[in-house]
Amino acid sequence: MLTSLLLLLIGIQQPAVPPADTMRSRSLDAVVVTATRTERQVGSLPMPVTVVGKAQIQQSGSLRLNDILREQTGLTIVSDHGQGLQVQGFAPDYTLILVDGEPLIGRTAGTLDLNRLTVGNIKQIEVVKGPSSSLYGSEALAGVVNIITESPTRTQGSVSARYGANRTSDLTADVALRQGKTNLYLFGNRYASAGYDLTPETYGNTVSPFTNYTGSGRLTSQLSNRVKLTLTGRYFAENQNANTQLTDQQLIVGAGRVNEYTINPVVTHQVSDAWKLMYRYYRSGYRTSSDLRYQTTGADYDASYFRQTFNRPELVVERTIRNRHFLTLGVGYIGESVEATRYPGRQLFSTRYSFAQFEWIPTRRLTIIAGGRYDNHSQYAAQFSPKLSARYEVSPTIALRASSGVGFKAPDFRQLYLNFDNGVVGYSVFGTQELAAGIARLQQQGQIAEILADPARFGTIRAERSMAYNLGIAANFQQKYNLPLLLSVNLFRNDVRDLIETQVVAQKTNGQNVFSYTNLNRVFTQGAEIDGSYRLTAGAGRLTIGAGYQYLDARDKSVVDAIRAGQVFRRNPETLITEQVKMADYGGLLNRSRHMANLKFFYELPRHGVSASVRGIYRSRYGFSDRNGNLILDVDNEYVPGYITWHLTAAKTIRQLTVQAGVDNLTGYTNPQYIPTLAGRLWYASLRWNWQQRPATQSNSL
Amino acid sequence: MKLIANLTLLTLSAALLTACSKDDNAVTTQPVQSVTVRDLPADPVSTTASSGTATQPVAATGKYTLYSLRDNKVIANTDSASNKWDIGFRSTSIIVNGGAMRSGQGGANVYTGTFDALTAIPASTTFAQDQSVTQLAVPGGSGNGWYNYSSTTNLVSAIPGRVLLIRTGDGTKYAKLEILSYYLGAPANPTSTTPSRYFTFRYTYQPNGSTTLN
Repeated sequence: MLTSLLLLLIGIQQPAVPPADTMRSRSLDAVVVTATRTERQVGSLPMPVTVVGKAQIQQSGSLRLNDILREQTGLTIVSDHGQGLQVQGFAPDYTLILVDGEPLIGRTAGTLDLNRLTVGNIKQIEVVKGPSSSLYGSEALAGVVNIITESPTRTQGSVSARYGANRTSDLTADVALRQGKTNLYLFGNRYASAGYDLTPETYGNTVSPFTNYTGSGRLTSQLSNRVKLTLTGRYFAENQNANTQLTDQQLIVGAGRVNEYTINPVVTHQVSDAWKLMYRYYRSGYRTSSDLRYQTTGADYDASYFRQTFNRPELVVERTIRNRHFLTLGVGYIGESVEATRYPGRQLFSTRYSFAQFEWIPTRRLTIIAGGRYDNHSQYAAQFSPKLSARYEVSPTIALRASSGVGFKAPDFRQLYLNFDNGVVGYSVFGTQELAAGIARLQQQGQIAEILADPARFGTIRAERSMAYNLGIAANFQQKYNLPLLLSVNLFRNDVRDLIETQVVAQKTNGQNVFSYTNLNRVFTQGAEIDGSYRLTAGAGRLTIGAGYQYLDARDKSVVDAIRAGQVFRRNPETLITEQVKMADYGGLLNRSRHMANLKFFYELPRHGVSASVRGIYRSRYGFSDRNGNLILDVDNEYVPGYITWHLTAAKTIRQLTVQAGVDNLTGYTNPQYIPTLAGRLWYASLRWNWQQRPATQSNSL
Repeated sequence: MKLIANLTLLTLSAALLTACSKDDNAVTTQPVQSVTVRDLPADPVSTTASSGTATQPVAATGKYTLYSLRDNKVIANTDSASNKWDIGFRSTSIIVNGGAMRSGQGGANVYTGTFDALTAIPASTTFAQDQSVTQLAVPGGSGNGWYNYSSTTNLVSAIPGRVLLIRTGDGTKYAKLEILSYYLGAPANPTSTTPSRYFTFRYTYQPNGSTTLN
């Protein structure tokens, strides 16, 4: 029934070879490297890890990283100067984004725009929840996302083209060549969209037209039996048009550019069975520029640039003890620089760090991992981030896991040195080190209407620090009951102190604000995550059902204390009557949904080369802003309503060609006022051609 | 010494007895009423909603709107150097008629609690005065005094549960005052374009000089 429906949808009915990729990635035997910096099966790890494989990415019709991550349990995409990732209730700043183990740079207002990353060259995405500062240092406070890119070992190639609503097009091509012990992989992508406008009554697009290009390459060479060289590089460039209307009706037009590159040579030396050395060097540069002009006169309105570089040599030593225990030691240096219209001069940062991790496996059922990292910053007090985790296999079906660790995030360049007057909207933002001078300058220019908070209070900000606990249970009913059912539950609690938030310091004469950054004392996030998948035979095909749910409770502890002390009130805006706020009324931190859920169906009919998916993503209501004067989330009209989006795809493979069609946001749900990034219903169709030097092996990895 | 103390006690007792008997017989004494003042302009700058469709820009005068709580009316700014007024408004700044920079004997205290539940000025209350532009009895700045400022919505909102305890300009009477809105018409959902600097507030003035407020 479902099959015939799908075939009808695609309009092609021919027998074909099965697709090479399968949903294998959902199982627990996928090998990941992010959690421990060593290759481990997901199921054997003592911390919560999510793996998303290429098959799922392709079957979901994803183009960019945010498309696929938002469908994963416990993750949601939040929009603030780009599409960022919220993990365990933390804003995007607190999750480290790695590509092949190396950090991506170039965050705007703390958000690393995931829309920058094409999924075309991704082999696997690994998400580790909970702090991993013990291995990765700053930013790995809420979690780590590691994108593992393709590294084929045979000669092959592919070309794919996709077109869809909003004139969104994607062209991707890659080729892998093998010559003896050397592999070369090249990848290219062009992604463009005409954008969209959810509010046609106002001038300017909700999302402006853009085009971007990604190129990447990898050379791997087995130099000798024991020495392997990997050289990886990546380049990204984007152009986006901008048009906006000022309050005085003047039109502003212009363009923005983003460029990013990474170079990453790695030499792996397997000295002996017990010793392995990895020499890594990583360099990344990120730059943006924008040039805005008055449409009528062509006169300069605002021109800005931002340049950041990141250099990191690192040495990692792995020692295997009696084939059972593993010791990892690492030492490295990070040199960073930033230069921007918005920062005074060229600012430099450096970090010297070392880390150690011991994986102790006393019995077959028990794994204990202890580790820690010491980061010595040029600007801050040194940080030590320990982590301890353990996994115990109660039975072949059930495993318990627990981990506890410290995470930290150092104040970034922006929070210290930003010196920015937004020409378009008219607000100003100053880093804590620039605030006093900035306020003085604005006052001298007569731009300050009123000081709203004492600038001296901002002082020096400190690194943000968290203590986290994760407690989980994973059940795999395959081995003992021959049931393709996986279930996992994870409870988490993060206690954060010295959280850095933007705060209004003064009001300008134009009605806009002057912002700076301050340590917001204490916050906690806690919750539970449940994830499950079940595979069943449906006719000649396979249906994989995945479902997930996260309950989240994220609160500001000082607000909790104030409510408990009876010091928080609210005024009914209609009756103007004031009443005391009760604890039950407090909705916690803004932009956090209490409930998030997903339900996904993936259907495969290998004999006919057919696959399809239906995915539903739910997010319950979340706080947007205060409306009744007490600055906390406590009444219904302060929330953005919850919503659900449905996504469909269907694909058919004939020999080397795959045709895919899909619809994102099937019901066309939009909320222009509060969720401008949610475009309406989007259809698309794509064609992919895969080629391999020795075809017809078509080993189905299931 | 002891004699004087006893005499004082005696006098006090007599006064209290007299007061009680007076109260018992009085026909004019009523519980004090709360009064609501709507849309008191506090030097509006941007626009004013005129009767027509257009909004007219209004130049700011930079002057405080002075108010007498006893008379429930605006006092001319020319009388600023008198003790006729008790409280003044300009933009988000609130002044009282007392302190180094004022002529009167007034003062204020920012109290946390609900207006209705506050039946008397607490005995421990200390009244601050306007000593300088940066040291006002009612502190300026978001979260410090009577209002919060939201950077998301760009709106000023009166902090719920903040009551201004006022000593009048002549230094002899007390009142409690709660700011309800900063926007013209006290709309339930003001926007950043709603004309601002219009105070809606309610207050209870105790004419008999006591600190009882109900």
